[in-house]
Amino acid sequence: MTWLQAMLLAVLQGASELFPISSLGHTVLVPSLLRWRFDRSDPTFLSFVVALHLGTAVALIVYYWADWVRIVGKLSASVVRGNLSDDPDEKVAWLLVIGTVPVALLGVFLEKPVRAFFGSTALVAIFLIANALVMFAGEALRKRAAGAGTQAARPLSRLPWPDGAKIGLAQAAALLPGISRSGSSIVAGLLLRLDHEDAARYSFLLATPVIFAASALEIPKLFAPEAATVLGQAAVGAVVAALTAYASVAFLTRWFHSHDLRPFGWYCLVFGLLCLALSLTKVIS
Amino acid sequence: MKAIALVLAVIFFVVAILYGVGILQIGTHEAGPHVKHALLFAILGALSLVWIRFQSKPTNASLR
Repeated sequence: MTWLQAMLLAVLQGASELFPISSLGHTVLVPSLLRWRFDRSDPTFLSFVVALHLGTAVALIVYYWADWVRIVGKLSASVVRGNLSDDPDEKVAWLLVIGTVPVALLGVFLEKPVRAFFGSTALVAIFLIANALVMFAGEALRKRAAGAGTQAARPLSRLPWPDGAKIGLAQAAALLPGISRSGSSIVAGLLLRLDHEDAARYSFLLATPVIFAASALEIPKLFAPEAATVLGQAAVGAVVAALTAYASVAFLTRWFHSHDLRPFGWYCLVFGLLCLALSLTKVIS
Repeated sequence: MKAIALVLAVIFFVVAILYGVGILQIGTHEAGPHVKHALLFAILGALSLVWIRFQSKPTNASLR
């Protein structure tokens, strides 16, 4: 892996992890399009990927630092007190715990079987198209419900407990390369009557412990003897991924203030169709 | 409910230990200890204990 490839992968990871366009899908499709030949099971490549994910997780923690301080504080106070209060931050904290359980369970048990999909660019492209259709359908259903006046948006702190788990479950769909973590969880949030801002905030907060835990558990790979050759690229790549992720989350939180998911849906649809055509015609593999 | 939470806590901690020492291999692809599985079930066990604690004290907020 050259330095240019390493830095491009870092930017790609930092941006696509948070934009609703599937980071896993892009890490399969983009190297294929650029004819980069990486052995994804190579320990040095895995160490590099772990560093990029750590960088992304750190960026999310830094961006939502004030929120996390409140959330962890309220959660701890709630456990010490032994009951639930009406505090909105405490409600969000427990919603995050409830939402994290399904994706943690499915992630641990399905991670390896799902990796079989990574070898097929056609399948990844199809999932990317499905990701687009899910976002279009989510926006359409949300608009129809809002238009009928039957379902006014509610704040995140008023989300019922089972709905928090449902959004967490939707996030687990992102184990499939091509399905976006933020896309699926934001759509689930919209369908459960959150507005775009709150759905995106819950999605990004929900993603943080998952990305952080998944990468933290792999930290020993960074110190494996084989990883020494990529340690420099991994360190710089982590910083680049963190800066890109920070810029991405800052952009997206502003974006969802007044925009919706459809532009990302169009991107996934066009890119997915292009990659599917190239894969079926054996231009990429 | 408290009894269910207690049973769940015991089950989760036992499963965590079995994964941790490598005896339990369900849903795994390699032999040996499975740290991720063990940690996950240990966390679920801890959450079950929190659930027990919440049932021991009056709740201020209703479960909406």
